[in-house]
Amino acid sequence: MTNHVVLIGLDGGTFSTLDPLLDQGVMPFLKDFLASGVRGELTSVIPPLTPPGWTSLITGRSPGNHGIMDFFRFESPGSRYIRLVNSRDVRCETLWSIISRQGLKATVLNFPLMTPPRPISGYVVPGWAPWRYLRRLCFPQSLYEKIKTIPGFNLQELAMDLQLEGKAIEGTSKDEYEDWISFHIRREKQWFEILRYLMHEAPCELTAILFDGVDKLQHLLWPFIDPTYFPTHPSAWEQRIRELCLAYFRQLDGFIAEIVALAGPQASVFLASDHGFGPSTEVFYINAWLHREGYLEWASDAPTDSGEAGKLGLGTISRWAAMVGASHTTAYSLTPSSNGVHIAVAGRRGERGIEPHEYEPVRSRLVEQLYQFTDPSSGGQVVTRVWPREEAFPGKQMDWAPDLTLSIRDGGFVSILNSKVVLKPRPEVVGTHRPQGVFMAKGPGLRQGLALPALSIIDVAPTLLYCLDLPVPSDLEGRVAEQIFASAVLHQRPIRIGEPTSVPEAFPQGSESQEDKDGEAQVLERLKNLGYVE
Amino acid sequence: MDITHEQISADLEKIFHETMGDWEYSGEITPETRLFADLGLESIDIVALGGNIEGHYRRNFPFAQWLAQMRDQQVDDIRVKDVVQFLHDNLNASSDGESQ
Repeated sequence: MTNHVVLIGLDGGTFSTLDPLLDQGVMPFLKDFLASGVRGELTSVIPPLTPPGWTSLITGRSPGNHGIMDFFRFESPGSRYIRLVNSRDVRCETLWSIISRQGLKATVLNFPLMTPPRPISGYVVPGWAPWRYLRRLCFPQSLYEKIKTIPGFNLQELAMDLQLEGKAIEGTSKDEYEDWISFHIRREKQWFEILRYLMHEAPCELTAILFDGVDKLQHLLWPFIDPTYFPTHPSAWEQRIRELCLAYFRQLDGFIAEIVALAGPQASVFLASDHGFGPSTEVFYINAWLHREGYLEWASDAPTDSGEAGKLGLGTISRWAAMVGASHTTAYSLTPSSNGVHIAVAGRRGERGIEPHEYEPVRSRLVEQLYQFTDPSSGGQVVTRVWPREEAFPGKQMDWAPDLTLSIRDGGFVSILNSKVVLKPRPEVVGTHRPQGVFMAKGPGLRQGLALPALSIIDVAPTLLYCLDLPVPSDLEGRVAEQIFASAVLHQRPIRIGEPTSVPEAFPQGSESQEDKDGEAQVLERLKNLGYVE
Repeated sequence: MDITHEQISADLEKIFHETMGDWEYSGEITPETRLFADLGLESIDIVALGGNIEGHYRRNFPFAQWLAQMRDQQVDDIRVKDVVQFLHDNLNASSDGESQ
């Protein structure tokens, strides 16, 4: 087998985007990689969202157990006010921690929820970190002094450019779109250069990097990436934007090729995504619907969507409870990213709400009404699936979850804003998440040219542990993807089940917790620009 | 033993100065210093300040709830002494539900 495993994360990677790029010759290395490797869809969690998705992938645990269900969570179990999640909220051990305890080292680049940093054996440069604080958020802190010596190192490009990202959503200037794509091309190169440096200078048994421009480009530029939506006779500008998108993926293919070469022929290389992608063509205003059905009473100052992707900042998020929390509110949605509905129960979070004994009948009626809601123009069902919390988030952390989680027909996220109409076509198609992500792998002992049935995202961690010749902790919910390995390998080296994982401390010694919310502020701004925060 | 206003003020001054390098503010910080008007912070920066404070005390504080209450009271700026009082109230109250 192998003593070196590489995990390349493609945030939002989806075969519906990648396959055309493979066919068109934009990603020739990945095409060859798949011809001699394995591929299959990777089923994400509920909801298919970056924080719960990646956390599930790197813990082998489900959101109901690791506790990350959204970008946000309540400040405390009894609070109605929300804040961004961070590494302290991850209540299960990560892959990097598991292998560290067993004497191996990991390099971890650009993964979310890595701040405040938790000590591991190896190196962490966290994702979602603002440039001003990245120095203090690296682990170990001395790592920053090393990576800043890399030729071309640009701290601000490495982290984020909030102004540029904001313009990409709010503005329509052609020049701004080009700058925005070019920025992400440069930014991915920054991450790649750090990876190359560390693979040369401090190789670890597990090397993991996340390229998140895949997600951003698809969110903002879906009509330029999806051939279905790209015009048959594009303007010169449209063609230029598409070419820039292709340049991003062409560069990514080159990075993958170089990473595989650096890892060497004895390494096992895995590519995976946290969720898939697809188009979104309409907006479902869940709180407006709850208001119409008599569950939600708006506060007098609750904003109404202007119909032009109006966005509200931190102030609105922190005071949202006040907007939907009038005394007669019995059900509300707090974040657009969760697709969740909370039921106000008397005594829970200080809400007046319904009496506890009314919970089940109210929830059942609400589910039924959600399913019955139809598009007034076509009669089509809008809400395609409603999960009660015990189905979506079984586990010790379930109490942090919304009471209901929705899937809507275009696969997108709900809007939590007020609106005169409950369902509205988007002025332009945008990209949004889908449950089916990607899984690709190649290496010694792995089967070749195999197309797999879908795996679960929680299977990745145990599969990587098996590749590293480590026992799989008994409490992981995922399983080793045995079907990707040659039968002789499994026979010679049976899967070993080991001791359960360790529950992480909320405030581990050696963490840099003081920088946590410095990063939170900028991350929140970034989410706003991506449309998760309205 | 309760933590005093003076101790919290000293802690807060230290936290401010650790972070001030990024703020480009060279004035003196007093209990009357206003976070928005004097330090030039925006509402999103208050979250950053909250993170520093939580890191210092190694526990969470209900900052979002506090800010919402300030808004409801139509407070248009936050003074350093307001932060000190908020921390005093929370540090000397039960810590139930704060640290997880």
